[in-house]
Amino acid sequence: MDELERELRLGVQRQPAPASLKHRVMERRRQQRARQHRRMVWFERLAASLVLAGVAGGAAFWRHEVELRRGEEAKQQVFTALRITNHALQVMNAQLEERNKDSR
Amino acid sequence: MAGDWQPNFEQLVDEHQSMVFSLALRMTGDRGLAEEIAQDVFLELDRHLAKLESPLHASFWLRRVTMSRSADALRRRRVQGMHMWVELDEDHGAPAEERDSPLAARLATRIDRLLATLPEAQRAALVLRYQEDLTPEEIAATLGAPLATVKSHLQRGLKLLRAKAAIHLKEYVRGV
Repeated sequence: MDELERELRLGVQRQPAPASLKHRVMERRRQQRARQHRRMVWFERLAASLVLAGVAGGAAFWRHEVELRRGEEAKQQVFTALRITNHALQVMNAQLEERNKDSR
Repeated sequence: MAGDWQPNFEQLVDEHQSMVFSLALRMTGDRGLAEEIAQDVFLELDRHLAKLESPLHASFWLRRVTMSRSADALRRRRVQGMHMWVELDEDHGAPAEERDSPLAARLATRIDRLLATLPEAQRAALVLRYQEDLTPEEIAATLGAPLATVKSHLQRGLKLLRAKAAIHLKEYVRGV
């Protein structure tokens, strides 16, 4: 090691950081965490709103589907009743025609 | 065991603030900018705290990020057309009373001035070698540069410093 290197070792030493550095770092860290917390709260609110909207939409869709299904069932019941009535009327009509033939 | 180490942010700031600030100051020559870089480095440390495995890893990480941030700051200043080291005066060094002796303080100021005239890569290698007492291998790992390049920067930097010191430092030592 020559003279210059010895001088470098002596001259290039760590310097004390400004007294305020740690305080500023801790303050900025606190602010950053507060910002992150606020962002997280907003994200949670947004997520909760989306979930609620999804649940409400799902419920409305499900209710609509149930009503459609019930309507379809009612329609099928009416058709069945009409078919039965139609059949009964045809039977009655046949019997009446049969009586008419006999009376002639 | 390294895995058991639980980093404490405040303690890390206490332990390493002088190292981070000094590296940034010697690389940029601007106390305000160096403090800003040091703050940014520690905030980034806070975000990466969980990834640190040991005190040695923390030191290595801090040195690497400080050097990288300082290089970025110098690049930004160059793009903006600003000259660094405009504040290179007696204030650049630590106050004289903080040094062992007035001679040491003046020697440090002179050396800082000489270092400031070196190209950035050579200055980075020399600061890590003599301020942080790192081996060329450790400097290469810190700067993410090939070992041969680091050795070359160290040799060329020392050669350049010798040439400048021959003019300035000897005059100064004679004058004391």
